Amino acid sequence: MSTAVTQKSRLRSRFGLAVLRKFFAASTVSGPLFGLIVIFILFSLFVPKFFTFRSVSGILNAITLTGMITVGVTMLMITGEFDLSVGSVMAIGGYIYGTLSMQGQPGLGLFLAILIPAGLGAINGLLYVTTGIPSFIVTLGTKYFYRGMLWVITAGTMLQTVDRLPIYSVFNGRLNALNNLLPQANFRTSLLWLVLMVLIFQYILTRTRFGNHALAVGGNAGAALGQGVNVKRVRVLTFIITGMMAGFTGVMLFSQYYTVRVASGDGLELSAIAAAVVGGTLITGGAGSVWGALIGAIIISTLRTGVVLMDIPFIPADNFEAIVGVTIVLAAILNNYLRKPS
Amino acid sequence: MDEKRVEHGRNSLVWMDSITKKFGTITALKDVNFGVESGEVRALLGDNGAGKSTLIKVLMGIHQPTSGQIYIEGKPVSIRSPRHAREMGIEAVYQDLALVNLMSIGRNFFLGREMVRQFGPIQWLDIRRMEDITRKSLHDIGIEVRSVHERVGSLSGGERQSIAIGRGVYFGAKVLILDEPTSALSVAETRKVLHYIENARERGLAVIFITHNVHHVYMVADSYTIIRQGRSVGTYFKGELSEDDIADLITGDREV
Repeated sequence: MSTAVTQKSRLRSRFGLAVLRKFFAASTVSGPLFGLIVIFILFSLFVPKFFTFRSVSGILNAITLTGMITVGVTMLMITGEFDLSVGSVMAIGGYIYGTLSMQGQPGLGLFLAILIPAGLGAINGLLYVTTGIPSFIVTLGTKYFYRGMLWVITAGTMLQTVDRLPIYSVFNGRLNALNNLLPQANFRTSLLWLVLMVLIFQYILTRTRFGNHALAVGGNAGAALGQGVNVKRVRVLTFIITGMMAGFTGVMLFSQYYTVRVASGDGLELSAIAAAVVGGTLITGGAGSVWGALIGAIIISTLRTGVVLMDIPFIPADNFEAIVGVTIVLAAILNNYLRKPS
Repeated sequence: MDEKRVEHGRNSLVWMDSITKKFGTITALKDVNFGVESGEVRALLGDNGAGKSTLIKVLMGIHQPTSGQIYIEGKPVSIRSPRHAREMGIEAVYQDLALVNLMSIGRNFFLGREMVRQFGPIQWLDIRRMEDITRKSLHDIGIEVRSVHERVGSLSGGERQSIAIGRGVYFGAKVLILDEPTSALSVAETRKVLHYIENARERGLAVIFITHNVHHVYMVADSYTIIRQGRSVGTYFKGELSEDDIADLITGDREV
């Protein structure tokens, strides 16, 4: 019976759907990339003013903050965990950097805006590995706790500056070298930082021992443990990375808006999870890529821009959220189909 | 017969001496003796919940024994972690606990023992070299794979077992632990896996074959240790008991 089954599946794999499936399953990024290209072409054909540098740079600028947080969240999701506290940690990073840079110490501010979030990430990770409570619940708790602490420390006051320090444009200024070349373009330096981080973490994920262990822990923690991987260490380190990236996103936030509020970044954790899933990360862990997640974030931003520009009379532009919702579920179904053995 | 039984003891390759393991108030194992010699296939038999996997998890360093002592090649050791167990040559070939289905054959082969190249502080995986070695060493022990890039999840159960066994052989394991290696396999695949087990034994490896079904192991095992409700019922050598005798001892339908 089993030979009949294998013959049948071999036959099937030679034709049609199975060939496509194999093609898209071979790479974690081909699916999202293909999706983005299709969406982009459709909008370019049917939506006026879509295919301009103005809207393209707008799409990309809109993702730099979410995208930066998504880099860490994706690494974590690949190990099979969630961090719902990233929005709160980002606000904390923004306050630390904002306060110290306004006092003339941007270097120290940058350092602490990454170090303290790293510590908050370590708290998330250690709580998870020592108690065994699902990370979803642990970080749901710390999400409120961290933001609550920020309320207490800042007394709820917004931080704002009128000083346009040159250091701010390093992290999130206008990218004039590029903007002067392209008509109506409005790229920001944050995009370069995002691309840099995506490259670094994609490298770590696919080309280092740590990345290999992260994939293994997400795919089958028992096997990873059996093969001598220090599963707890991998998990705590990934939470630390996620915290650091959230802190750095806070630095970029303040550099762009010169403002940070206690409520800044609320909801970003879900946008990051959405981008990761649309970008091919398996929600149960073990598969995914950082640059796939970047494409996922771009897909969501493209949908938003496209729907707004379409200006459909009886559907308000806010309704793009419904489209994002459909996209997330479709992407999750596709990921499952591609990654799970038949 | 007695002479042969004497050889299992402190000087065996692996000897677990009166291992007791308690979880809170529950006693999972009580004074269990268990060992294996080089070039021997030892069956570890017991019904579900008898304590087989607890005993093996103690050997793998996943659990620490409440009391008792483990000896490896005559030396008392305390095994702290699976990594530590593997450094001493104990290799798990667990059905679900050995391989990551979403990863390729090549990446699985070197999981936890990745080869890296280094330039200053930057290191990267030597993927091509790992894949070449995987292909070659599997071929050397008679296992052919279509491609080392293929994800393990797309392989059959027998192919997965063979890759885990091949990995153990390549990395110089002294003891292979197989947990129900043939329970979900077709007849043809079972035969193949048993062949790889015999192959490993011929190379002088010790094999611990865990199962609840004596039928799966009767042909290949040199000796049988039966545990029931956390206690050792006894150890018997090939030819001492029939398949039915052993089955009765597993279920407790007959006492020793």
